[in-house]
Amino acid sequence: MKSSERILATLEGKPVDRRAFIPVLSLYGARLTDCPLDRYYSDPAAYCAGQIAVHKEFKPDMLLGPFAFALIGAAFGSEVKLSTVQPPNVRRPAIASLAGWDALVLPDVEANHHLLYFRDAIRIMANTFGNEVPVAACLPAPIDIPALVMGMEGWLELVLFDRPGAERVLEKVNTFLIRFANCLFSEGAMVAVLPCGYASPAVLNREPVASLLRPALEQALGQLDGPSVLHHCGAPLLGHLDILTGLPSAIGYALNYDENLARIRQILGPAPVLLSGPLGTSVAEMDAAQVKEVCRTILQERDRAKDKRFILATLGADVPWHTPPENLQAMGEALAEVGWNGA
Amino acid sequence: MNIQKALIAMIQQADRHGAGQLLEAWGDEHGYERLLIEVLEPTLLTIGEEWLSSEAFTLAQAYVAAKVAEDALLKIAERKKDGAISSPNRGAVVIGNVEEDFHSLGRRMLGIFLASDGWVVHDLGNDVPADTFVDKAVEVGARVIGVSAMMLTTAHNIKQLRAELDRRGLSGHIQLAVGGAVFLVRPGLDLEVGGDGTARTALEAMALFRRLSEASARKEATP
Repeated sequence: MKSSERILATLEGKPVDRRAFIPVLSLYGARLTDCPLDRYYSDPAAYCAGQIAVHKEFKPDMLLGPFAFALIGAAFGSEVKLSTVQPPNVRRPAIASLAGWDALVLPDVEANHHLLYFRDAIRIMANTFGNEVPVAACLPAPIDIPALVMGMEGWLELVLFDRPGAERVLEKVNTFLIRFANCLFSEGAMVAVLPCGYASPAVLNREPVASLLRPALEQALGQLDGPSVLHHCGAPLLGHLDILTGLPSAIGYALNYDENLARIRQILGPAPVLLSGPLGTSVAEMDAAQVKEVCRTILQERDRAKDKRFILATLGADVPWHTPPENLQAMGEALAEVGWNGA
Repeated sequence: MNIQKALIAMIQQADRHGAGQLLEAWGDEHGYERLLIEVLEPTLLTIGEEWLSSEAFTLAQAYVAAKVAEDALLKIAERKKDGAISSPNRGAVVIGNVEEDFHSLGRRMLGIFLASDGWVVHDLGNDVPADTFVDKAVEVGARVIGVSAMMLTTAHNIKQLRAELDRRGLSGHIQLAVGGAVFLVRPGLDLEVGGDGTARTALEAMALFRRLSEASARKEATP
């Protein structure tokens, strides 16, 4: 099966030759091509070359567009610091208060060079991989974007102490997100992966997730031109998963593998695809044999083995730069050895 | 309902204003010196324990607790100017995010909780080079440096700070507290990067800083 066929069959709950495999290797492409990160995160062709190398080396079933949310912050005016071994970080947020949001002009998705980088990278990748390997766009969920623009603390202040202000910010953010995500779909992205760090019960309690995040997500996802996957961002999500069900265009959820799968299915129903696997950071720290064993255990777990809509992924942030390639190959070996149904 | 329970309930509901009024009324009646020791400190410790042991507390609620503590400290500081109260002074500490780390929320909360515990906090901000940490600690006579890192990649930069302390012969005299999200998911990372101790939350760090300060004092007393 081609990767695109494998993904499509998984979405439809049809038989596949093996489980699909989606490691988060946005950064890792730079290591494989020995590309300095200042170039990798500004030159779409360099990014695509990295993803070609990722595909050649590990044969993932989906490739990711740039996973560099700080650059979205930069499009809003935040100052970014580049690193030699990790994705860029926001050094200084663009604004400090609600007044700053009111005055802020949204970045132009047709002209802002940071946003054009994402668009061009997706377009080049989609043209390169055609209908063989789907390409996903990585975008922050609406409730995660303000922290890139005003810092986590400033955003928490609004969420907790100024609800009308937070709602105003989310409305503005959604205008941008919908416009930008639809550009990425038009460039060739098959799906948008939206990490929702603020949806986790470790971060926010239920009330703001239900009354602030859910309506914003509903509004945004309802206007997207393509499907989306909600991502747990490395934090537990099960406790709030019921708030995130039935969202328009949400076809999948990425969750920690140690969260109760039976309970997850009970909440989500049979249709959405589930993505899970070891954290990228733990893949970096184990040896190849351990990675393989962890993946085998995940694939053979009773409920998961029967689940036709399960994809093996790495979770959390990007797989770290220093991860030995044989550890990632071990994930593929586990997939090859364990049948699609864990047999 | 006693003051601590009432305060915790308001923090859980993100009622910062109500919590401020409650504390002010209590402080006016019983004295602000007692407010810090009898109300704020035990409430924060309770929240810290609950944060770790149950799902009742989230990061956001711990943040509300930090803001309530900060508001109370400001009120106490205003009264200090009038010479109205005295509070414990545990000495100076230096905190910051390690070089290349920009995740400031946990560090900011730590600073507030340490100040509420009687420390004079020198917060160096994000992306702090190793020598800047040590220079500041020497300048202000800090016994403890608190360094924060969220990601594994940046946590490894703490090794440079340990190396700098070793190079200047200050290890032991200046203790190194390390913390941040990555230390929760990687047991043993604190030792790997050269830390003298870690805490699971910013609230738990209050006890860690006291313990490390005592270790520093013992080291100084050793001939």
